[in-house]
Amino acid sequence: MVYLPPPGTSRDRPSYSDAYAKILKAHRESPLTSASSVIMLVAPDVDALCAARMMAGLFRQDDVIYRIMPISGIAELERVRDELMTYNELHTLILFNMGGILDLPSAEWFGEFRTEVSVHIIDSARPQNLSSLFGGGENGERIIVWDDGGAERLLEERKAWEALMYEPEPDSDDEESNYDSEDEYDEDLDEEEEFEEGSSEGRKRRSLGDGNRRGKRRRTMEDRPHRMSREERDAHMARLEKHYMTGTWHGQSASGTIYILATLLERSDINLLWFAILGLTFQYTTSRISRDKYDDYQSIYSDEVLRLSPPPPVGEQSITSINPDDHGIRTTDELRFMLYRHWTLYDAMFHSSYIAGKLGIWKERGRRKLTGLLAKMGFSIPQTQQPYPHMDMDLKRSLVQKLDDIAPEYGLIELSYPSFTKFYGYRSQPLSAADAVEGVSALLDLAGGVKMEVEVEGSRNGGEWFGGGKLWEVHGLVAKTKWTIEEDRENIRPGGQPTTVATNVEKAEGGEDDDHTVKKEAAWWIHNFWVAFDALADIEALRHSLNLSMTLHRAIIRQGTSIIDKQDIRTMRNHRVVVLTQGPDLALFSHPGVLSRLALWLVDALRDKLPGKVVSTRTKRKSLPFVVACLNESSSSYIVVGVMAATDFGDVRKNEFGLAFLDAKERCNARTRHSSFDTSILEINQADLPVFLETLCEGSGY
Amino acid sequence: MSLPYSLRTSITPPELELIATQQLIEIIPLIAIEKTAFISGAFGPLQPPRKAKIPLWMAINLKLRKKCHIVAPEWLSVEFLQSRLDEEINEPGFSKLPFRYAEISKVLLDVASDDIQNTDKIRSLLKDLREARQAKSREGLDQINRGELSVSNLCSMEINEIRPFFVHAMGILTHLHREASTEDQL
Repeated sequence: MVYLPPPGTSRDRPSYSDAYAKILKAHRESPLTSASSVIMLVAPDVDALCAARMMAGLFRQDDVIYRIMPISGIAELERVRDELMTYNELHTLILFNMGGILDLPSAEWFGEFRTEVSVHIIDSARPQNLSSLFGGGENGERIIVWDDGGAERLLEERKAWEALMYEPEPDSDDEESNYDSEDEYDEDLDEEEEFEEGSSEGRKRRSLGDGNRRGKRRRTMEDRPHRMSREERDAHMARLEKHYMTGTWHGQSASGTIYILATLLERSDINLLWFAILGLTFQYTTSRISRDKYDDYQSIYSDEVLRLSPPPPVGEQSITSINPDDHGIRTTDELRFMLYRHWTLYDAMFHSSYIAGKLGIWKERGRRKLTGLLAKMGFSIPQTQQPYPHMDMDLKRSLVQKLDDIAPEYGLIELSYPSFTKFYGYRSQPLSAADAVEGVSALLDLAGGVKMEVEVEGSRNGGEWFGGGKLWEVHGLVAKTKWTIEEDRENIRPGGQPTTVATNVEKAEGGEDDDHTVKKEAAWWIHNFWVAFDALADIEALRHSLNLSMTLHRAIIRQGTSIIDKQDIRTMRNHRVVVLTQGPDLALFSHPGVLSRLALWLVDALRDKLPGKVVSTRTKRKSLPFVVACLNESSSSYIVVGVMAATDFGDVRKNEFGLAFLDAKERCNARTRHSSFDTSILEINQADLPVFLETLCEGSGY
Repeated sequence: MSLPYSLRTSITPPELELIATQQLIEIIPLIAIEKTAFISGAFGPLQPPRKAKIPLWMAINLKLRKKCHIVAPEWLSVEFLQSRLDEEINEPGFSKLPFRYAEISKVLLDVASDDIQNTDKIRSLLKDLREARQAKSREGLDQINRGELSVSNLCSMEINEIRPFFVHAMGILTHLHREASTEDQL
């Protein structure tokens, strides 16, 4: 209920540090404190991972024992919630990047918990559920939403929500109770009015309370019982609908919120800042926030970098560590190529969605254009085929400059954006924020579960004898055989093709029961989560994961180019659909994370080729709605991902597919399941897909 | 003890480190703590921003939780170590260094490198010192005889290094000497 505004807005409102102090106090004073007193539920995305890591660090410094549980989706959350009900020593629950949209004070979620349990929600997804924000009473007081200032602007929605909550039905007979409740409401309104001096005199307010400022006067004045008329009720309902139905978007990152907390506690340091930067970069590179918002936050963080990190030397040394203890961060310009410092320049440009779109990489002509561009910049072909660290130094230095000069001729503008790089002393080469985010998200999606072959450096052009690849294994671990896999080593094709042998189907055991399959599947993403969590702090593991990320990108390109080549995109009335039913990488794309990346890649690649459509009825802005579905053979279902992209690079639109999917599902009675916290990702039974896609078209406005 | 047999003859470096962290060191605390009793004694009270002397193990603990800043001891500076290194190279004996300098400097450079100036220069000086002293102790071991042996200014890690060999060698020398003297008598 209590929503915490960001600190600095007003002194007397509780802020993040008060909530944190409350957690500490509960931990220290409760007699039953044990390892399960403070539990953090973490969603499987990079931002939540970073935020959890930061919070864990803060807790460790304060000697608070905590527990982290990864949660993949709403179903999992329900299951865990039932389990948590039985914990007697639990007194704090913290949710990262989940639960913002859920009605938490209700009995379905946390209403049934004991009153000592407080629930903190640090979620970047918007819109937030209004009962969680504004719910009152003892039940609602336990739910604390850590907000970034957006809830302050929801005044009208708050009034509407409260009006609908507390006001009885328009044609209720009981005038007495009507009167009383109306008085209560007026008192509330009074307090609000005193509080919100100068706020707009809304039409609703005037109709409800005559704009009066004194409750006493009103009590004596009013003889007629005041009921909410039908129009007012409808107006409130419309307001609430508008709040929920405009689509989903993202606010401040969870890790950014925790960084603000650390600053308030005066415990911010370079590592916490790095995690906050990773969370922000993740939001930008996955198109969750627009370029403008990214620039705002980036400038704040670069000020912090100047404050916390030793000043960088100018000139040559700015790209290497100055001394073995240099663990600082510096601002750099990041190019839009994927992981360009870790493979050849040609590959990096080839695999980036922006360039792919502008030059048309999937055609031979486009590839020639790319080599032409590189030649114009003065990079010879052998040079561009060299891994980046082996390229000539002067070419590397002039790269950004030449790109700025020559690339606009090909229509490539805005190739760089400001970002950060972290140094690791003499232990390792510096790593940029974008690369780190790529590595960690590759680990989250793929560390276990699908066997991926990564290319061994130097294996191109006939370097190795038996194929160019070796199986990727988690750094530092012997390959565990807890998944009984059908090893197919004899038949691995040479040349670095990933073998996607189905791993989480236990053919060897012949297990029939559902439980067994479910347990095996659950194991892999929990394993991924912990591998990624560990990698956040371990530079060696992170570097190791970059290989995995490169293989993933190669697979995405392969699939994307084949889709565009075969012209597999069907254009419906208001959106475009791609259905994947076959291909070498099918098992890979049945993971929702990977599939969303493919969708984003397609959108970026086709942004200029396809005209935007005016989809939403509320705003007249054009956008590019895209739906991608992939068949998951093992569970005979389709994973469907909906992406609403903006027509300009660097802009975002609110994603209305969550609602559209729900709508279509109800109308055609499809058997579906939401497997993650993102409402625009959906799992649907194989047989229901065609009907579902049709209903999606007919849907209101879609 | 659960160490392999070969390591049981002397103390291991981590144990030496543990012993070394009992020494007192000066810190600038960031939080206030009252006078508290520990097994090894009572320390405190800590009142920021006044400096206080507490054992090194406690200082490390507080530093890791960002609750203090460590004041580097005067011997952990470039000038001091440089002068000692020059002395080491130019003179035949060992120069005077704090008895547990190796352990304390390792711990401080690991945990509190931001509180120390010129850490890379200090690291290289420490390495040079160690090598110079090691060369001297190797030469010295060549000249072990049964008689009296006095070496001054060896530090705890160095003593620990040569102890197994030294003890064993002295034992054999004594044995040989006793046999030689009994033969003489016969």
